[in-house]
Amino acid sequence: MKNFFIVSITGFVFSSVLWILWHFIDTHVLFFAGEGVFFYFPHAARVLCIVYFGYKAIPGLYLGELFGPNVIEPGFYSFPIYITSLISVMSVPLTLSMLNSLGFALGHTISSPLNRRNYKHVFLITFISAGFNSLLVNLYLSRNNLSYANAITDIDQVLSFFIGDIFGTVLVFIFLSFLLKPILKQAQNQ
Amino acid sequence: MNEFYRNIFDALIMLDGLEKDLNIRHFSPNELKVFYTIVTQNALNEGDSNISEIVNCSGMSRSTVYKTLKKLSHEGIINLTQSEDDGRESLITLVGNS
Repeated sequence: MKNFFIVSITGFVFSSVLWILWHFIDTHVLFFAGEGVFFYFPHAARVLCIVYFGYKAIPGLYLGELFGPNVIEPGFYSFPIYITSLISVMSVPLTLSMLNSLGFALGHTISSPLNRRNYKHVFLITFISAGFNSLLVNLYLSRNNLSYANAITDIDQVLSFFIGDIFGTVLVFIFLSFLLKPILKQAQNQ
Repeated sequence: MNEFYRNIFDALIMLDGLEKDLNIRHFSPNELKVFYTIVTQNALNEGDSNISEIVNCSGMSRSTVYKTLKKLSHEGIINLTQSEDDGRESLITLVGNS
């Protein structure tokens, strides 16, 4: 139970912080303003938390997804995002389940078909989950005649979601590996 | 709690692999200054620069510049080759620019 709370808090904080950072850059940083769809950071929180903490990270991540658009910037989206956020969070477990059913079970050893200690395998999960997320969210939006402000739900939006999730995640991974370098060095020396 | 740290440890190993493949490293202030001077000088010369130019333009002592250049060369960031015109002088080429 204690572990569940720690994982939930970590997932919530990580997802919220990335959303706030993304939102700030999307709305305030001159060159990137309005182009946030091409570097959506919070997908990194979904991937990292579910890959490393498992399915118990889902509630915290889901709350984190809802926190920014509902508390920090209410009305940022022109429709309730409860379903779309759930689809986005569930895109990673869906990917892991699909890979598992194909014989690629997630593990942490070199012999694991899907090794979570290998960044290339984590990128594969990011790639597939970004595909699920972009397809399913846009399918839901088009089926319910919903759209983001000044955007049409079409194939271009599907592609921009896909690219944005992948590129945003890669940027967060690189930023984290740069930020955590002193800790990594210390761990190697011990 | 142990499980939590074990998961974080796995994530750190993954990031470590990424960091190694990307060759992300921190420059020391001296390395940064010398590297910046090399880049600037190479751009001005439209080619290689020599050690004397780097010493003069960086404002650092010759021995510090030598030490830093050796380190950068050892890490494969620059190449040091002897000048054909002046045997006492070494030419500095940025790796990937040669």
